[in-house]
Amino acid sequence: MFGRIPGFGLSPVFRSDPFENPVPTGMITEEAAITAPPGDVLRVDLVAPEDSPVAEGAPVARLRNHPEIVLSAPFAGRVARVRLGPGRRLDEIILFRDPGGEVAEWDVAAAASGDAPALVALMQGCGFWPRIRSRPYGRMPASAERPAAIVVMATDSRPLAPDPRLALDGLEEALGRGLAALGRLTDGPVFLCAADGPPPIAPDAAGGARIAHVSPRHPHGLAGFRVHDLCPAAPGRPVWDLHAEDVAQLGVLLATGRLPRTRLVSVAGPALTASRLVRCQLGADLRALSYGLVRPGPHVLMAGSPLDGRRAQWLGTLDRQATIWPQQQEGKPPHWFLAALASSSVPKPVIPTAALQHAVGGAFPAMAMVRALSVGDDETATRLGALSLVEEDLALADYVTGGQAGLGDLLRAMLDRTRTEMAA
Amino acid sequence: MIRGLWDREMVALLLLAALMPMALVWIWFGGAGAVGRLGLALIVSGAWHLIFMLARAQPPSFAGAITALAVAMLAPEDMGLVRIVLGISFGAVFGELVFGGWGRNVLNPATVTLAFLGFGFPTFAWPDFVLPVAWAAIPAAGLGVLFGVMPFGILAGAALVGGGTALLAGGPDWVVPAAAMVLVLLVADPVASASTALGRWLNGALYAALVLLFASGWEGASPVQLCVAAALLASLAAPLLDDIAIALWTLQRRRRHGGS
Repeated sequence: MFGRIPGFGLSPVFRSDPFENPVPTGMITEEAAITAPPGDVLRVDLVAPEDSPVAEGAPVARLRNHPEIVLSAPFAGRVARVRLGPGRRLDEIILFRDPGGEVAEWDVAAAASGDAPALVALMQGCGFWPRIRSRPYGRMPASAERPAAIVVMATDSRPLAPDPRLALDGLEEALGRGLAALGRLTDGPVFLCAADGPPPIAPDAAGGARIAHVSPRHPHGLAGFRVHDLCPAAPGRPVWDLHAEDVAQLGVLLATGRLPRTRLVSVAGPALTASRLVRCQLGADLRALSYGLVRPGPHVLMAGSPLDGRRAQWLGTLDRQATIWPQQQEGKPPHWFLAALASSSVPKPVIPTAALQHAVGGAFPAMAMVRALSVGDDETATRLGALSLVEEDLALADYVTGGQAGLGDLLRAMLDRTRTEMAA
Repeated sequence: MIRGLWDREMVALLLLAALMPMALVWIWFGGAGAVGRLGLALIVSGAWHLIFMLARAQPPSFAGAITALAVAMLAPEDMGLVRIVLGISFGAVFGELVFGGWGRNVLNPATVTLAFLGFGFPTFAWPDFVLPVAWAAIPAAGLGVLFGVMPFGILAGAALVGGGTALLAGGPDWVVPAAAMVLVLLVADPVASASTALGRWLNGALYAALVLLFASGWEGASPVQLCVAAALLASLAAPLLDDIAIALWTLQRRRRHGGS
């Protein structure tokens, strides 16, 4: 009665024309950018200054406090423009492509032989580290962090998301190798979460990872709900989550010494005449990805799904979707009396409905969580499992309740408070 | 960028739509008197919402109409204008608006109004209902559950306890029509009732148990009166029931995952 209820979840539908190409096409955009994950602060030292040539995978910047963690170039080209905020905070590093450039290679002998410190050094040095997200708090993991468990997502229930099976096609062996490598980084289990149907990898080839089956309905296919269900994250007990495609690419790196820097991305949304599946590099230019498909009229480019997307020009490190939305025309502001009837000085409260409980997949008492977040009761929110979640996990709940409560922002504020408290 | 359906006003409108079968049957049989009571309740409730909008920037809510409907249907009869205005004002302001409007209230404002009127002016007669109005509570509850705005657990918990007692011991059947109407109008309010799955079942069961207790032990009370009292007490207990449900949930999770 108060456990996980499998019938819960929603399948929100967003209008988008069908894919013009069921088989993804390769598309390396002429420009790309290295950006900080949304909400995260990266203080960096530049390795490659503006206007210098870089090979694919070559280091462009290093973290100031942890110089072993490297941000690397998604393609061979030239560093075009570096924008740093105060305190050398990374804003964006834009690169121009140079076809026919070199590809950086790493010596993977030590890492492939099973040496965990060598593997960590390789992952940090080749630019793989930012693809990992550590919970609680949903940030890039600290340099010396050892996770209590690792959750690998081979399913994605977000609307208009690309099917991870398509991304993993032909990479079964590499996926097994990547999973086995991850198993050396943790003392706990490695979970491979897959939707019902044929598993993306045979259980005995999964490198010791346990395969967990996941309902196809949103939000069950989000990493946060799988972490909440399988191995809740807590301070001092971090849990990593990765996408299965990245794990397979880690397997490729361990076999060949080269880390693939492309990924399967869906470009969709109601402002397009057709949707598109592409294999593009990390940090790709969203204008180039949607070029030729956009309907006439103003539109908004978003990195992420229609639910959790944010306005951006570049694909983020963790994004596998671009959503193109028509821009709403801003009309005349309404009369003050009509505005007062509709808007309020404080956010309007959320009313408990069946829709809200479905929007959190029945994973925890939804209304108790909403109330705890709204009033800033961090202890109750923690007890209900908020530390396993990040903003994107509450995006569906925010969407169904009209978004007036701003649950994602409340959760981020709660996570930041908890993090400061734990660090003190 | 794009927003879903289930914001506060949509839920209030759907609740209002769900209550329509009951309201229409009640107006059909009540005639001009019913329309007058409903109109007065709507005006007083709406005025307070307007005042709080202007003074506190709290947008008015269609939930005020739900309160007005419940009060108009269940309030004692022939009280006179001053008493009924006083009662609705007390309920709307201290039951709901001072907490920040519908969604932040602890008790259902209609329950507060009715309890205030019942305890404050005990000499006035509570209303009687023709049976079709009580029967209309069933489609109202069905619509509410179908829309997802009325908690199924409360209705089911109450039906379970009430029906179970009737089958086993043959309970007091004279209270059932009023109990069903109060259940739909006051107890199955999504905001002021328990919000967890287990808490809702307990909340409904507690309401039915209180109704049965009062029906067997409260000499001289009219059915509506004792049902309103049961609704008030069940609503007051809702946070406790939620806490019990959450404590059990945490216990179960701790057993499964270990740790704190």
